Amino acid sequence: MVKFAHRLSGVIAFTVVAALSFSGCTKKVDDKDTTLTVPLVVNLKGLDPIQADDLYSNMVVRNVFEGLYEYHYLKRPFTLQPALAESMPEVTDNGLTVTIKLKKGIKFQDNACFPDGKGREVVADDFVYSFRRLADPKSISNGFWIFDGKIKGLNAWIDAVKTGKADYKTPIEGLQAPDKHTLVIKLVQPYYQLNYVLAMGFASVVPREAIEKYGAEFINNPVGTGPYMLEKASDWIRNSKITLKKNPNWRGQTYPSEGEPSDQAAGLLADAGKALPFADTLVFTEMIEDQPRWQNFMKGNLDFAVIPNDNYDSAIKDNKVLPELTAKGLSLDNSTAVEITYIGFNLKDPLLGKNKDLRRALSLAIDPESYIKTFDNGRGIPAQSPLPPGLEGYDPDFKNPWVQFNVAKAKEMLAKAGFPDGKGLPEFTLESLSSAKDRQIDQYFASLWSAIGVKIKSSSNTWPQFQEKIKRNEAQIFPFAWGADYPDPQNFLQLFYSKNFSPGPNDTRFSNPEFDKLYEKSLTLPSGTERTELYKKMRDIVVEENPWIFLRTRKEYRFFHAWVGNFKWNHIENAMFKYIKVDPKKRAELKGKL
Amino acid sequence: MTVATANASTVAVPSSRNSLWWDAFRRLKRSRIAVISFVVIVAYVVIALLAKFGVIFADVSVPVGAQYLPFSGDHPFGTDVLGRDVLGRAIHGAATALSVGFIASGIALLIGITLGALAGYFGGWVDNLIVWLYTTVDSIPYILLIPSLTFVLGRGLINVYIAVGVTSWVTLCRLIRGEFMKHKGRDYVLAAEVLGASHLRRIFRHILPNVAHLGFVQFGLGFVSAIKIEVILSYLGVGVDPSTPSWGIMLDDAKLELARPFWGNLIAATLFMFFLILAFNLFNDALRESLDPKLKNK
Repeated sequence: MVKFAHRLSGVIAFTVVAALSFSGCTKKVDDKDTTLTVPLVVNLKGLDPIQADDLYSNMVVRNVFEGLYEYHYLKRPFTLQPALAESMPEVTDNGLTVTIKLKKGIKFQDNACFPDGKGREVVADDFVYSFRRLADPKSISNGFWIFDGKIKGLNAWIDAVKTGKADYKTPIEGLQAPDKHTLVIKLVQPYYQLNYVLAMGFASVVPREAIEKYGAEFINNPVGTGPYMLEKASDWIRNSKITLKKNPNWRGQTYPSEGEPSDQAAGLLADAGKALPFADTLVFTEMIEDQPRWQNFMKGNLDFAVIPNDNYDSAIKDNKVLPELTAKGLSLDNSTAVEITYIGFNLKDPLLGKNKDLRRALSLAIDPESYIKTFDNGRGIPAQSPLPPGLEGYDPDFKNPWVQFNVAKAKEMLAKAGFPDGKGLPEFTLESLSSAKDRQIDQYFASLWSAIGVKIKSSSNTWPQFQEKIKRNEAQIFPFAWGADYPDPQNFLQLFYSKNFSPGPNDTRFSNPEFDKLYEKSLTLPSGTERTELYKKMRDIVVEENPWIFLRTRKEYRFFHAWVGNFKWNHIENAMFKYIKVDPKKRAELKGKL
Repeated sequence: MTVATANASTVAVPSSRNSLWWDAFRRLKRSRIAVISFVVIVAYVVIALLAKFGVIFADVSVPVGAQYLPFSGDHPFGTDVLGRDVLGRAIHGAATALSVGFIASGIALLIGITLGALAGYFGGWVDNLIVWLYTTVDSIPYILLIPSLTFVLGRGLINVYIAVGVTSWVTLCRLIRGEFMKHKGRDYVLAAEVLGASHLRRIFRHILPNVAHLGFVQFGLGFVSAIKIEVILSYLGVGVDPSTPSWGIMLDDAKLELARPFWGNLIAATLFMFFLILAFNLFNDALRESLDPKLKNK
């Protein structure tokens, strides 16, 4: 019993002492070490690109794996550029045939899976293999939606694989490699988002040898073509950190010479033409709690960090960085994310799924404005619809009738739903994460809902558990966020397409025949007013049906140290750490003074 | 010699147990620290009950103002992240803590006494089995055992009662077992056997009242430790449901709020916990002394 007394005082003292000690010690800093240390706010499940369906996994995975295309680091609006492809695709046959030439001499990272351990050249067949692997029902990827129903013969191949009538040797009409460096994709109908999805992590190239050697363990033994590699499995310490080393086989790339007009003045073009990547080592540290993360950043152990809501007032006043922080050499990068955060309902739930009025009541009880004020220091835009700010079809004047804080109306809807004052309603379960901040947010939702008589119990999960529950249809109500994979709101609308049910991205199991019809039609259209109108019609259906409680789009404030160069957060491209530079001399000089 | 032995067993028979408790009470009353501690504990219980039944701070889940209001007359410890009164939450936290202390150590008392009595009284394979059981439970560190239990059972007050209760009976069980082994051969027990008293009667009517003071002391110690475990579990996010006010959750909030800085949650939870645990520990000491027959003539 006594053991607890010590533990308890230990726990409390640690919080206080840790905060103090971070500002006390000085340690000699290596002035040649160019390591870039990146904070991750969740624990990772693994490094397989076809399983990386969240931002955090992608932030790591995209350094090890590459696909045919990627986004320009600096340009806005987001612009595609070739990665492993030699040029942008050649589209013929009324948009039905897409021919992509590969760069020559691209090599996989050295790994024991290859003969002699030397990475071999990447050929077009590797892409055919990787896309088949994404489609393979045995892979259970969350990312197959990017090719689902798009490529000739691919869905038929899946059916044949399921019945054992086909394997990886069976040819697929729409996926061909006529020579070593040419990939030909034949489409069922024009696919206007194809280039975008080819730039996603799901479409990365993986070597067959590694999959055959590691099997299910590939998720812990990644082998790709990217600028960084996991040298040995022990470089990944579970729930702590992942160390990636520079890949000596990398194809090479230079820092861009163009960007937005303001980039020149911001010094973001000074390194134009220099060889990438700048950092020799990338370290991802998993720090779930805000305060240790921020204290580590302030001490210089992390090179950049998003400012936590509790530290905001001590860093920024009237939208200006306080002089104490600028004196330490801290700079601010602020940008509006391309995202919608929301509370999703499981529409397969017998109660929530069938009762639109109930969902509306729950939505009316939530106050996005006060949420942004309480948890984001006012840094956010209340979300009204699935179309996020910055993308086609976003209308700043659009008001969702169910996004307004109106307790009286919420009670009215609850009565209409058949549960006056919440009578007869069971207790709902809100799935959530385990950090202290998440718990506060749960309590906030619970208190707003209890005001109309709805009882909520929250359940805390690790990030992989949380995702798993949602995928398996076990979550009832879940706060979640969708960040854009590519700059087309179709990426948000596909979350409501009934054929994208789990393991696809339709996490709420939203199903509406009219929506599906409009969605399918929108896919046949190139960008333009006609398509935008369809997007708006789809938006109206989603708003009417309320599968989500819309919350907000975050304005993210990231601070970085004086020794960090070329820092410009890219909300679409996760393969951005190869551009970021650390000046080791400056770090050695400044870090001791922090 | 024979006379003396006879006298000793007369003292120990149930009929004179009232005087033992009366003696203890008399000695306890004489200690000023014990009286003050007792008053503090009673005050906590009264305030917690008043809060629980809605007489004071009826609903602490609703905001009373903006977030992080400074300390003031209306809100002596300010308001928390959701604008709720911190003092009110600390008082409701006391109710949570006391309920965990009472129920969890009640469960432990029940298990500890029952198993200890059976093991000590019957010996043999029953004893082997029970000793095996408690050595096994005791060999797993509490800090791992209890959180893993609450992981399995899920968060929530009732699960905390159970998890703490079923893991903290070992010490008491061991003590009771030892006492029973000592007592079962005593003359008054043998006399009861001769008079035809059943095993159960001998255990519960004859021996138990003579060793019950151990249960009392152990209950008090268990109470304190159960309160602390509840706080730790809630701090770690595996204790009570976040909607239940708890000092552990307040400390978890404080972890974030020290950056602001907002001290309300830290100070309120620490003070409330400090005085309750201090009072309990002092009272326990006094209680143990007053019940200890060796110190009887002090």
